[in-house]
Amino acid sequence: MRKLTSTAAALTAAGALLLTACGGSGDDDASATPRPGGTLVYATGDDEPTCLDPQQRGNVPQALLATQYLQTLFFQDDKGEILPWLATSWTEAPDHLSWTVELRDDVRFSDGTPFDAAAVKTNIERVLDPETGSTTGRLALSKVAAVQVPAPHTARIELKEPDSALLESLSMVWLPMQSPAALARGLTANCESPVGTGPFTVESWHRQDSVTLVRNANFTTPPPGSAHTGPAYLDRITWRFVPDGTSRFAALQSGQADVVDVLEPQHAVAAKGNPNLAVTIAARPGKPVQLELNTTRAPFDDASVREAFWASVDIDAALASVYLGTTERATSPLSSSTRYAADTIRDTYDPAKAAALLDAAGWTGRDGDGIRTKDGRRLTVSLPYTTAIPLQPGVYEQIQATAKKSGFDVELRPLDTAKWWIANNEWDYDALPMYYTKNSPDVLRITYHSAANADATPNSYHANNVHLADPEVDRLLTEAGQTTDEAVRADLYRRVQQTLADGHYILPVHDQQTRIGAQKKVKGIRLLPSLALPSFYDTWIG
Amino acid sequence: MAATRPPTPRTEAKEAGATAAATATPGPAAPDSAAPDPARRPRVRRLARRVATRLAGALFVLWAVVTLTFLGMHLVPGDPAEAVLGGAGSHAGEAQLAEVREQYGFDRPLLAQYADELGHLVRGDLGTSWTLRTDVTGVLGEALGSTLVLAVCSLAVAWVIAVAVALWSTRGGRISTALGTALEITAAAVPHFWLGSVLVLVLGVQLQWLPPLSTPGIEGLIMPVLTLALPLAGFLGQVMREAFLDALDAPFSLSARARGESETGLRLIHALRHAALPAISLSGWAFGSLISGAVVVETVFSRTGLGRTLLSAVLASDTPLVIGVVLVVAAVYLAVTALTEIADRIADPRLRQAVTPW
Repeated sequence: MRKLTSTAAALTAAGALLLTACGGSGDDDASATPRPGGTLVYATGDDEPTCLDPQQRGNVPQALLATQYLQTLFFQDDKGEILPWLATSWTEAPDHLSWTVELRDDVRFSDGTPFDAAAVKTNIERVLDPETGSTTGRLALSKVAAVQVPAPHTARIELKEPDSALLESLSMVWLPMQSPAALARGLTANCESPVGTGPFTVESWHRQDSVTLVRNANFTTPPPGSAHTGPAYLDRITWRFVPDGTSRFAALQSGQADVVDVLEPQHAVAAKGNPNLAVTIAARPGKPVQLELNTTRAPFDDASVREAFWASVDIDAALASVYLGTTERATSPLSSSTRYAADTIRDTYDPAKAAALLDAAGWTGRDGDGIRTKDGRRLTVSLPYTTAIPLQPGVYEQIQATAKKSGFDVELRPLDTAKWWIANNEWDYDALPMYYTKNSPDVLRITYHSAANADATPNSYHANNVHLADPEVDRLLTEAGQTTDEAVRADLYRRVQQTLADGHYILPVHDQQTRIGAQKKVKGIRLLPSLALPSFYDTWIG
Repeated sequence: MAATRPPTPRTEAKEAGATAAATATPGPAAPDSAAPDPARRPRVRRLARRVATRLAGALFVLWAVVTLTFLGMHLVPGDPAEAVLGGAGSHAGEAQLAEVREQYGFDRPLLAQYADELGHLVRGDLGTSWTLRTDVTGVLGEALGSTLVLAVCSLAVAWVIAVAVALWSTRGGRISTALGTALEITAAAVPHFWLGSVLVLVLGVQLQWLPPLSTPGIEGLIMPVLTLALPLAGFLGQVMREAFLDALDAPFSLSARARGESETGLRLIHALRHAALPAISLSGWAFGSLISGAVVVETVFSRTGLGRTLLSAVLASDTPLVIGVVLVVAAVYLAVTALTEIADRIADPRLRQAVTPW
């Protein structure tokens, strides 16, 4: 009997672990036959998009929705490999300055118009057109010079300089293929009802309430790895905007919602204890949520003080108590789901080591509060934070508490988002929480190349929050952005990650996450690996 | 029935309405039939002048609201061009920001932008939302109806609760009065956010009587309305009961009782009317507070409305939309204040006998 119980417990634990760990789904009921029909109610805690066409601007709330109705040329699998989707094959020119892409010739947009190379040209040119107001997409295509159409279903993308991240960029939902006929309607109409090749189409959008998606009956292009072919099972999806976390989870518990996202830690734990609910937590690619240490001023201009700070902060304990075991510590400047991520950061909490390093660095005095001093200056770390960065306030408090034992005075500055950006732009911080979503290790070039120290805007926005200016890192990143040789790329990015770890410039906390709670009767929820966003193509309600 | 004039004529009686209730004059409403003919013409002229003054005052308030909001939005740090491009999360480049700045005229002097904004507003054009890229008028049209339904229902429910509690708690002596007072003070002190969350957890999750998220039907309206109505009922109830007790002690109550009026009749016909006066005056203010409470309630219950529009517009630095919402809220507030004055006059005949336009 005891054995049976412990086996059952082990199985339950294993099941829970599986649900937590794998980006797959709660669909462990393989014997059940999918049942078509029904409406899925999805309650999102992310912002309401301001436009349903992710070519205009380009942020995560748009990507979440657009995954249901728009598709891309390429598909990126969970290892970061590029697979065909709307494209069938591709070849890079020997001079690395163009890519020839063969396209499927049997695909139609949901408005009935055919998908072809002319459509690819129209879409890419539209993203590059300033009038469109594309941000993420346009930035990702910054090396693209032009698109040629040598044959009806062949597109040639010409580059200003080699771009090893091009195919990755074109597998992000911010660069989807939309019907040229629909695009001709103008920006506003496309914000309201973009037209693509996806399993669902946009039926209506009631602002501040919901977007209604209906099944695309003529759907023919399932993403690679799908469990079935043909149209989606669900008749429709009601995509509701529910900013309040408690209400969102209440809606899931009461059955008013079938799936919710941005599941808060305590709700994730409660959902795991509820036999009707399943939890899926998966890492999004890019830069994890992490503290970036400002090297432009004291105390973190001194490498040994940065190392001492690492050793003085107990991140594991903070995650355990604040996230209740629903997240793991990040061990790399790249999220665990990003290609070429290398575990370069490990087991850093070591107060004895912190003490020795600080002594050696001259921070030998102590004031009445137990804070270390040097030449009459306190060892103060200014840490401005905002709710816009998905890190629970409790983590900051734990960082403050543990660092204090080693003599750091971590000064927490809760700010509204606008003021927080000002602090970032003016380098007015010692440690800054930050993340960056991108499905490519090229994110390291965007954020740690010395060029990213320059002001990108008149507001002095800069993507490099460390002020890293290392010619060797610059060289590695530039080279990695140009070569398409996998082994070479992997090695270059690994060396950059190692340098970031050795210099103790950043302190990764946890991966950015997709956190989903669902009714167990909802089967076949799948996270598409490129950005770990849910797709409801295979989903059905049992 | 003879109309009794108040001891002193009130020409500016709107603020006096509430306080006058305590020194009540008995008797139901009666039209001022004795007005002499020659007085008609000046009265019409006075009325016209008063209406004009009120309208001018309203316009001034609206202008001030627009100006303060415009300045406030520009004092908040942040780049409006970034707001147009979807905020900092969408990785806009400098070239894109520069293009937007030129397109929207953000590079022009603040005064020019302000003059431009006023010019549009004077022509009745609320402009285009930066983030939604649609007409502000259209967005407000959708949101206003929803918030008005919420606010009107909440006010009505608050009144029903306040009257019921006042009637009940003044009936059974000291204990029920104390209990009523305690209930009202507690209700009035409860924060909307907390009350909304508790209702969601109890009625939505535990009992599963009502959907936690707002739905189009009446059942989706119940919890949001309760969240707004309960604290308001506490406020109204406190004011109402004081006046109610005073009225029951007033001489006219004695005379009504002496005429053989039943206790219930006395309460419903005579005392309630007096108790209502301060509460009516308060309702104008209450309506304004309901709109601000709607920010919380519409967020908790995921309901469309002005409050949620305002919140997201402020967070996104969407100046045209913020100005639009604030203008509509101010206009509604002005309209409701005028309506409360009319209601005051209907409930209190003394105010009608005074020379007033309504």
